[in-house]
This record gives sequence, C-alpha cells and structure tokens, in this order.
Amino acid sequence: MKQNYDFDIEKIKNLSQDEKVSRQKNLDLFYESGFPSKQVEDWKFTDLNLILNKNFDNISNEVNFESSKEFKAIENFEHNFIFLTNGKIISTNFDYEEKSKILIKNFHQEEVLNIDPSNTLVLLNSALSSGGFSIEISKDYKFKKPLIVYNCFSQDLKNKILNNKNSIKLNEGSELTLIDYSDNNDQNNFIKNTLDTVFLDKNAVLKNILIQNSKSNGHFYKYIKGSLEDGSSYENYILSSGLKLNKIEIEINLNKDNSSCSVYSALNLLEDQHQEIKTRINHNSPNCKSYQKIKNVLDDESKGVYQGKIFVEKIAQKTDAYQLSKALIVSDNAEFDAKPELEIYADDVKCSHGSTSGSIDSDAVHYLMTRGISKKESVKLLINGFLNEVLEKITDSELKIFLEKILERQINGH
Amino acid sequence: MLKIKNLKATINEKLILKGLNLDIKPGEVHAIMGPNGSGKSTLANVLSGKNGYEIEGEISFNGIDLNDLKIEERAQKGIFLAFQYPLEIPGVNTNIFLRTSLNSVRKARGEKELDTLTFLKLIKEKAKELNIDEKFLSRQLNVGFSGGEKKKNEILQMKLLEPKLSILDETDSGLDIDALRIVADGVNTYKNKKNAFLIITHYQRLLDYIKPDFIHVLSAGKIIKTGNANLGEQLEKTGYTNLS
Repeated sequence: MKQNYDFDIEKIKNLSQDEKVSRQKNLDLFYESGFPSKQVEDWKFTDLNLILNKNFDNISNEVNFESSKEFKAIENFEHNFIFLTNGKIISTNFDYEEKSKILIKNFHQEEVLNIDPSNTLVLLNSALSSGGFSIEISKDYKFKKPLIVYNCFSQDLKNKILNNKNSIKLNEGSELTLIDYSDNNDQNNFIKNTLDTVFLDKNAVLKNILIQNSKSNGHFYKYIKGSLEDGSSYENYILSSGLKLNKIEIEINLNKDNSSCSVYSALNLLEDQHQEIKTRINHNSPNCKSYQKIKNVLDDESKGVYQGKIFVEKIAQKTDAYQLSKALIVSDNAEFDAKPELEIYADDVKCSHGSTSGSIDSDAVHYLMTRGISKKESVKLLINGFLNEVLEKITDSELKIFLEKILERQINGH
Repeated sequence: MLKIKNLKATINEKLILKGLNLDIKPGEVHAIMGPNGSGKSTLANVLSGKNGYEIEGEISFNGIDLNDLKIEERAQKGIFLAFQYPLEIPGVNTNIFLRTSLNSVRKARGEKELDTLTFLKLIKEKAKELNIDEKFLSRQLNVGFSGGEKKKNEILQMKLLEPKLSILDETDSGLDIDALRIVADGVNTYKNKKNAFLIITHYQRLLDYIKPDFIHVLSAGKIIKTGNANLGEQLEKTGYTNLS
C-alpha cells in the first residue's frame, strides 16, 4: 500500500507560473514510481517505501519556516555559522572572516543540478524544494575558523517532508571546514531530503563534517555530489548516529589530475536505527587518490549498510583508491550489509578494498575488567577505541576534542 | 590475606589444578615455580576470575569468598594480575584506559575520582619511576609496544592501582636485563608490610632481584615442595625432575 501523499506545489510560496509547471513535471515523474523500494538496486538494503509505510500515515510538504525555538550554539570553539530552520536561512555570522570574500545567499531553486534522474528522491526534491543555502568562497581565501551550519527544526513536523538544496563552491586555492550540525530531539516522524552540490576549483580544500547531535525520529536522506578540479581535496566525516533512518549518498567526481577525496564514517547504531552510506567515487582523471574508511558498531536491532563503488575511467592511470569497511556487531539481532565494488578500466592503478565484521574481543574485555573496569564500561571503551580511529587524521586539536566528545555522546546513546 | 584450600580447577573437561593449598600473609613474597603445563598460569587466571573454569575448593581474600566476586570487583578489592602476555588493544588510548581503571577502583573504594589534570601529573610521576617514555601513554594500549614495554606497562598499572595482592605471571619472560632490573625495582619500591606478592616464574633470575620469602614448586596441579629462597637456586641446578 502506498502512503497518502499530500504533495502540493501550490503550498510553496513565490513561484512563477513557469516554475510551477516545471516542478509539477518532476512531481508527476516521481509519482510514476514513488519512494524507492528494495526492488531498486541502489535501495536493496534500505527499503525506503516499506519503512515510510510503517512509520507515516500521510506525508505532506506544507512546512512552516518560522521558528522561535531557542537553540544552543556550540561553545567549544570559535566559529562562523549559518543558522537554518527547516532548511531555510534564518541568520548568518561570519565575524571571524573577511566578509567580502564570502558570498552567501538563499539557494536559487531553479538551478539545474544534473543529478541522476532515475533517483526518485532527487525528482521529489526538484519538485518540492524550498530553503537551502548557497555559499561561494573567493579565490585563495582560507577560512580562519570553521563554519557550522546549524540545522534546526520546528516542533510541528509530524508527517512532514522537508526538501532542501545547498550549494558549496570553493574557488581556486580557497579552504573551508564546514560542519553540518543537526539538532532535533522531538519525537515526531518527519523526512528530510537534501541535495548538496560541492564544487572545488584548483587546489581548494574542503573538510565536510556531518554531525547528528541528538536522538531523533527524523528520516534523513542526503545526496552529496562533488566535482573536483586539479589538486583539490574533499574530506568527509560522518558522525550521524542517533537518527532513526539515515541514508547518505556521496558521489565524488575526481575530474582533474591530483585531486583527492576521503570519506570517514563512525556510527554507533542502537535500537532499530538504520543507516546506510553509499558512495560512488569516479576517478575520471589520472593521478587521483580516494580513501574510504567506514566503521559501524551495531547493537540491539539496528541495521547498518555500506555500498561503496570505486569507478576508474580508462584514462585515469596511476589511480590510488582504497576502501575499507569494518563492523562490530554487538547484538545477535543487529545486521550489517556491505557491498564493495570496483569497476576499473585503466591498467596502471592501485585499488584495494576490504570488509570485515566481527564481535567484541572477549579477551580484551577480560583484560580491562581485571583493571577494575565494569563489563559495560569495558565494552564502551572498546567501541570508543574502534570508532575513534576515524578521527586520527584531524589535526586541529580543538576540533578533534570536540568530535571525540560528540562520538562519546553518541556511544552513550545521546 | 589469601587463603586457598584444596583448589581444583577444570577447563574443557580437563582437570588442571588438583587440590592446591596456599596461604599468603601481608608483607610476604611468594614465588611459584614449576615446569610447563604444571598449572601456574591457570592459578593466575583463576585468581583473576577468568571465565571458562570450573572451580572447586575455597579461595578467600581478606575473608571474602573470591568466587562471589566479579572480575572487576576482585581488582577493586585489591587483587592485581600482571599478565604474561598483556593484550594489545587497538584504538584504546593508554592514558584514557589508565584513568578509567584508576577511577573505577577509586570509586569502588569510596575515594574521589581524579580529574584529568591531577591524573596526568600522577601518571607522569609513576611512568618516570619506571623509565617509561611519556609518549607511550598517549599511544594505543600496548599496540606496537615491545615485550619489555608491555611488561613495564603492567607494573605501571600495578603501582597506579596500589593492590594488596599482586600476581606477576611470568613477568620476567621477554625482558632484557635492564628492563628486568627496572621491573624488579618497581616491585621492590612498592613492597611493604601491608601488601603481598605472588610471583609466577620459570626461572630463578627474577628471584635474584626480588627476594621471595617462600618458593613453592607446582607440579601436575599440586604444590609438591615449599622452601625458602635457597630452593630456587637448588632448582636451577638440579631441575624439576630430580625433585624428591
């Protein structure tokens, strides 16, 4: 049975007649197949249609963007911020930076994103999106402090879907650490469907950190599409534990020589939480590097999924690609599925992948217990050690300490 | 302090300890020597509470039946086992582990837990006494440590937790002479009238540095001979087989 969709383009404000027509087309295309089910290969481990049927009576796109909810900013370190409610910019602050170097505005909704049209969530986003931000950094400008994007939500989102698009553009030689920080602890089931496009010009460096700061009944889907020019670098960290459902798809196109990307993920899944990370790294040019380290801890009835594909074009000689997934399964009722894939058309490449899953080392638990530490704490220490490893490469010590605290909180179930 | 009466221990349906008796009083150093397979490590495992053993007989520690205590409770009450093969635990930072351990024990004893700064000051002092490079403390627990470094790390934990009874399971194996001396000094400076040691070893050489009050010979799961420090030297010459 399909949900009762209550999707209405008329509910989106300030649209021209042309925009309405184009959005309606996308919506009609979405209706042809609806939310993806496990019959769709990309969704074989995450039957979104089934999950939504279970948890939603109806789904509406009528969203109120005004929120008076107070929000606690992070005090651990100095930072710039963009404050979003339900995806829409409420305020921004770049007091630590040269403001003339930063262009920040509401996302221009009609910008064409050129993302796979067979993905029905992208179609739905194109039909219904509102809000979102667009940021562009001037040539050679290096951010002095990180930028935190605070994602806050109103309390009236029961059975609602949010659709947002964001765009991040770093011009030649610019650098930014962007923390996508979500905070929502109310019990309402809602859906957030986000498309992020990332463009890194020559030698630009972006660190993109995704954090979920609370336990939430949010059902999140995020598609990140990155395009990288010569010598640019994209680093992605995923610390999104706490969400009831989360699927992050990352498509990185290493379009020019010597560009590189990495994806690090540390998830501690509890109860019936379900998270999937799906990556597709396209090596489209020679001498590029990609690195992926995906770590999952699965407790209770949780489910974790990793689908990772490395695609190497014929022209992309001297590719160096690495992919590793490690899962620690703590409960008999938890599940982890991994589907690593390599598709290589060049002949002079270094590509490796590995996937392991196992349980907690009982000898290690014993050793810790002989030092007076309870079994529960011992297991937590081991889980922490297992996940913390993905933060190894972070050199900013303030940021690292902050992320370690977030991770510890997530391990304790928030 | 520790009273063991007619202890029998079975693992995988194999009887390893076959009626062992031992009485250790505060201030005493006992050594247990014996050939491979005599049950030395089993005794250490049983005292630490390792799972998988079927136990018969009595073990009491300061009047408490040890069988009633969980593994971590034994440590909290003051039993410490220095492992023959200390585990490498990837991802777990040595400092964080040591602080968690010390604070768990302090909490159980009703003492105040130490904050990070106080702890770091304390651990640096203790590490210095054992000639342990501070850098080791910020590394992953025992990962990539040499045999000697691992053993020194065990003694560091002992000195940090201040146990009443310390069991050293073949702590001398894999140590070069300098490390052996440092480990022995660590034990000798900690030794006092209130605590006791049970040293499990194959060889006399550790006992040249840590003088035992009693030496017991363990063979086929039983103590077959007990003597003073001279027994070790005698064993070194004659071996276990000629023991009458």
